Amino acid sequence: MIVYSNMRFLVVDDFSDFRSSVKGMLGQMAAQQIDVAANGEEALNLCRKTRYDVILHDYNLGEGKNGQQVLEELHHEKLISPHCIFVMVTAESSQAMVMAALEFEPDAYLTKPFNRASLQQRLDKLVERKRLLAPVLDALAREDQAAVVNACNALLQRDPRLAPLCQRYKANALAVLQRHDELEQLLQGILSQRPLPWALMKLADHLLQRGQLDQAEALYEQSIEQFPMLPAAFDGLARVKLARGETLKAQVFLEQAVKISPNNPQRQAELGRVARTNEDPERAVRAYRQAVTLGRHSAFRNPEHHLSLADSLKVQAGDTAPNPRVQLEIRQTLEDLTRSWKDDQGLGARADLLQADVLRRSGKQADAEQLLRNAGDKLANLETFFSADTALAVAEQLRELGRGEQADQLLGTCAEMYGDDPAVMAGIAAQTSNPSILHGGEEAAARNREGMRNYQQQQYPAALEAFRDALARQPRNISYALNTAQSLLRLLLSAPDDALLTECRACLAQVRSLPTSDPRHARYRKLLEKVDSL
Amino acid sequence: MSNDDEQLDFSTVIASTVHDMKNSLGLLMQSYGQLLAQLPPAAADADQRGVIEYESMRLNGMLVQMLGLYKLEVNQLPLRPSYLELDDFLQAQLARHDDILRARRIQGSFEVAEDGLMGFFDSELVGSVVGNVINNAIRYTHSAIHLSARMDGEQLLISISDDGAGYPQAMLDNQSDYALGINMSTGSTGLGLYFGERIARLHRRNGVAGHIELSNQGALGGGEFRIWLP
Repeated sequence: MIVYSNMRFLVVDDFSDFRSSVKGMLGQMAAQQIDVAANGEEALNLCRKTRYDVILHDYNLGEGKNGQQVLEELHHEKLISPHCIFVMVTAESSQAMVMAALEFEPDAYLTKPFNRASLQQRLDKLVERKRLLAPVLDALAREDQAAVVNACNALLQRDPRLAPLCQRYKANALAVLQRHDELEQLLQGILSQRPLPWALMKLADHLLQRGQLDQAEALYEQSIEQFPMLPAAFDGLARVKLARGETLKAQVFLEQAVKISPNNPQRQAELGRVARTNEDPERAVRAYRQAVTLGRHSAFRNPEHHLSLADSLKVQAGDTAPNPRVQLEIRQTLEDLTRSWKDDQGLGARADLLQADVLRRSGKQADAEQLLRNAGDKLANLETFFSADTALAVAEQLRELGRGEQADQLLGTCAEMYGDDPAVMAGIAAQTSNPSILHGGEEAAARNREGMRNYQQQQYPAALEAFRDALARQPRNISYALNTAQSLLRLLLSAPDDALLTECRACLAQVRSLPTSDPRHARYRKLLEKVDSL
Repeated sequence: MSNDDEQLDFSTVIASTVHDMKNSLGLLMQSYGQLLAQLPPAAADADQRGVIEYESMRLNGMLVQMLGLYKLEVNQLPLRPSYLELDDFLQAQLARHDDILRARRIQGSFEVAEDGLMGFFDSELVGSVVGNVINNAIRYTHSAIHLSARMDGEQLLISISDDGAGYPQAMLDNQSDYALGINMSTGSTGLGLYFGERIARLHRRNGVAGHIELSNQGALGGGEFRIWLP
């Protein structure tokens, strides 16, 4: 007999009749703490305040977020514990939505209409299952992936029949731990028994990530044969084609994935990106338009989608001025962007530049100049510098709009911050021949290489000297600052020293404008944590 | 969500209407349930109650089946198989009909051949087949309905039996025609068998596909519906 009186329930449905009817059923099961919400936004707000044990969420809430989007957002914001039971209530069964929900699956689907006996039977079973899995879920809640694997193994040893419940948790944990061989072995074993869609996708994604394109491709194709409504398999094939540089074929597969599951903003944006590469601005516009619209209610709302939509609309018009209707859409898109992310100067500057370009093309020189000045002001006050790719794109646009000097300034900063990456330097060289930008960093780079050699040979004081010198020459270079901080930390760990600690903190403070998208961000955070723990 | 200017064919029109009908029915039943809760017990226990509840379940089952058949036709019925515990699955099927079974004083029971028996199938699809069969059995049984599951060689066998008069001889003789959709003249029953067979066949393993069978040698002496899932 399962006791519901001490559990917290949340019932989400847009029909008040349904909410009270479910509340009544739960009441009959002796539940006492039952909250209700009419839409996804309300549900998320409640979840920010209260940790629920059971959430019964209607899939289709009319306007606004649907149940799957709420579930994704709950995971994204970490508002849902692994112990929470999330039941998706649906009006009809076996829809494409079920297949589209591979990553964040609800614990169960319950089809309307249902009676109290059905609800209780379902919940009894789910509570029982979560209790059985408690050691796994505890480890998951602590994000201790190694413990997840151990807990799964212990459960499997006790009762092999629990395999279907444990395997997925184990596979996810092995993937995070990058225990590739074990993961592959586990998935192969599962698939030799039954073609489980999640295991097929996991193995294919794994092979793709390991660069085994042919094997990954074969597996995706095999999945589509058995589960033609599996959008993730088409996504996978598109990624295989992209890895081979076959962008036209990639677009075809993405179109198919979008057709099966049109409501995912990230997938739409990916289609838009590939369509742009393929110089298919019409398709890009349609995809980005969807990405922006769908993103409105999603945790995966992304300002880049707005910028790409506006830019694709501009490109679609070719060399001529966009017609008034298109101009209106561009303006509205960019206004929506600056309204939603009003504190981000970098986004604001990019929106201004795009809009200035459109105005210039339609002969409104004075207005364009005004926006260019605005953009210049914003660029001078950036809190967080652009990623290298964005910096290159913005510099190019500045030059096109006759702001060569500002473009060079931006490239100079870009070279200083990211100049240790040859690919970035090549991108900069394609835009400017200014020798102080192109070669200004060579001495510093040489000193940095020297520092790395010393560091590898565990000559930490010598490494520190070299890194310090490199950083003094190029104070905004991220790698040099991180390297200096790391070698300082090395010395601090063996002998505490206040002056060195202050210097180390200063180095890290210099890097704080690093975009979170930068691959070095994780390293920066780790160093920061270590310094703070000293 | 399609941007294409394709003209709607009639089956799509029907399917989308059926979808709306199903939602309406769901709302109707919810409101009915609330109304019922407000009535004094004497009025709430009226005979008509059973009719309303049974017929609405039946209507719902038919609409689900119709949507399923439409999706099979346009190849949009995704199979979503997963590992399931059979006692959980059978219990859930009975729970769905709990109100009616109790109202009609029909004894609902289930058994699995071995503790913890697992199956690998699409619970929604097979659930809708089993649900329709239970619904049908409620109509024809005398006093009991029994669900059971066991392994039959490599295949899972789920049976639904009752203690009614059993299937008419003509139906037993021609069951393969019904299952293949050749004989639809008896309306919903024939369609139900066709649906069951199609869902069973979606389940396949190593070249073997599932199937269904009707019999009057059931566990309770009445009719028995069997579905094999490889």
